[in-house]
Amino acid sequence: MNPKFEFTDSIKKALYYMIGIGVLGLLLVFFLYRENNHARFWSNILANTYFFTGIGLFGLFLVAAAQVAYGQWHTLVKRIFLSLSVFAAFGGFILLIIVALGLVNVHNLYAPVTHILHTGQGDPIYTTKLIYFAPAFWLGRLLVYSILWFLFSRGMNNFFARTDQTDPKVYKKSRIISAAFIVVFALTESFISWDVVMSLDPHWYSTLFGWFNFASYGCAALGMSILIIIFLKSKGYLQAVNENHVHDLGKLLFGFSIFWTYLWFDQFMLQWYANIPEETSFWVKRFDVGYFKFTIFLTLIINFAYPLFLLISRGSKRNFKTIGFGAALLIFGHYVDFFNFTFVEPNWNTEAVEAHKEAKLSTENVVLYAQAQQNENAVSDATPVKENTEVVTTAVEKTEGEVHHEEAPVNYAGIGVGELMVFIGFLGVFLYLFFNNLSKRPIMPEDDPFLKECERLEVTYA
Amino acid sequence: MEEPNKVVIGLWDHEEVYLHAIEKIRAKGVQIYESLTPFPVHGLEDVLGYRDSRLHTAGFMFGTVGTIVALSFMTWTMTVNFPLDFGGKPYWPIASFIPITFEMMVLFSAWGMTLTYLVRNRLWPGMVPRIYDKRTTDDRFALVFDADNVASDKLKELRDLCMHEGAVEVKDKQFN
Repeated sequence: MNPKFEFTDSIKKALYYMIGIGVLGLLLVFFLYRENNHARFWSNILANTYFFTGIGLFGLFLVAAAQVAYGQWHTLVKRIFLSLSVFAAFGGFILLIIVALGLVNVHNLYAPVTHILHTGQGDPIYTTKLIYFAPAFWLGRLLVYSILWFLFSRGMNNFFARTDQTDPKVYKKSRIISAAFIVVFALTESFISWDVVMSLDPHWYSTLFGWFNFASYGCAALGMSILIIIFLKSKGYLQAVNENHVHDLGKLLFGFSIFWTYLWFDQFMLQWYANIPEETSFWVKRFDVGYFKFTIFLTLIINFAYPLFLLISRGSKRNFKTIGFGAALLIFGHYVDFFNFTFVEPNWNTEAVEAHKEAKLSTENVVLYAQAQQNENAVSDATPVKENTEVVTTAVEKTEGEVHHEEAPVNYAGIGVGELMVFIGFLGVFLYLFFNNLSKRPIMPEDDPFLKECERLEVTYA
Repeated sequence: MEEPNKVVIGLWDHEEVYLHAIEKIRAKGVQIYESLTPFPVHGLEDVLGYRDSRLHTAGFMFGTVGTIVALSFMTWTMTVNFPLDFGGKPYWPIASFIPITFEMMVLFSAWGMTLTYLVRNRLWPGMVPRIYDKRTTDDRFALVFDADNVASDKLKELRDLCMHEGAVEVKDKQFN
């Protein structure tokens, strides 16, 4: 009646293929793109580890939040949320290793920070930030998060596997553990986003970056659990889970998408309006390069416009096809979002950018010169203004044409076949750990006090 | 919809009995004019066969109107009517319009939905609401049937049906 998930060989085989594709992709990226000390390879590992660790942590957070609030809607799929977190138990250590390797110059992801750490000279704006990025403190923090995540992932998985959940004392204890995890999650999730992603560009800062990443994790984790529920139902498991439970998850998915957009726009609009060079450098980098401008607006379309128009109605959240498609699309959208954060700075071709700036400056000089000349003419010959503008435009067109030929690629990375292969590989590892954990105990927590209530869940509105 | 002058009111004292009674009465093909309960009864809309409320569609429309009004008005003032240079931003700084557009969207849809709701439910100022039975705010679940132009033997059948389905009281009421 309540079977364990059978981790069959065919599923295992498919996952092994996925992992194989990922390894192949990593090799491909490593040997094909050698620029900036294989920056693209390391960016791939960083982005994917960060993404899937976030999904895992959010799965744990969903259980914790519902448990603290005496929730019952999640009871049937509790073990799915818990199993998401197995990757996060190890993801923290991978992030720690990435930063440690950056500090010993194996790769150049954290070069802006490590350069100044090693040489002691550089931009004076970094001096206060260097206290935060002192190697011992930096690695120590990461070690603390990793250990906490490992302990909570293991601890909560084991705790909710207990068969005496109906005992009020055990239930009370589960709420204490959950409350503790919410505090840990709130802190570590913000700190990890500053430590491994915002530090790629130590000049830039955004005070809502932690929240922003939290919203991204939320969308990706909810999308992942919806897809997994649909998959498990198609295999004949989780018969008690019906469209009401998926509807609840869909509502959260919709809500988190809007929340993500709200934070994205806040971050952008305030920095654009304030126009402080320290903050706008982040956006200038992305908007100057056509490719990144495209991915930035692609994320807005996928993560905002799609859920706003197609997930808002009740029917589309209760239909497994539409919600499944939406979930898959949102997972991809939030991967692209993390791509925008982790791939730009390390793969930035500084020399090409400097050349571009000089060329642009020379264009401006030509324009200014032409304008000055025309003004002189206007004073002396009383030339009509219309002709002035014509001369200026031709001058601009002329110089822009010249500049265009000299322009070198300003970035080394984009979303290519390699990136997709690595993503598939990490997804394979993630799902392998997920299914491995899920197969250890019955999918549904049979002894949970809220199980009957969850089976009768009915979503009436929205 | 015109309110009927002559009505038959059935009163129940328990929600479960009431819900079953509604199912049975509707199965007999009798039209229910109004249903009044002291608290929201779970599943009442389903047994009454109500469609989904169209209020949220109205809300979406009002929101769209608010968005268009806010965006077009700001665009007109900032580009055509009185272009101003604010901190070197373009004359059409669309990003800084978004928060105001959002507020206007919320304002329009909130006011629009409230007013639509009030008008649809005949709750405009000065309106004296018709009270079918005062106990529906206390402990009675009422069903109201339109009795205008209904033959007296049909009405007797209706009264008997209500009593048979567990009503504690059935009464006729004439308004003005």
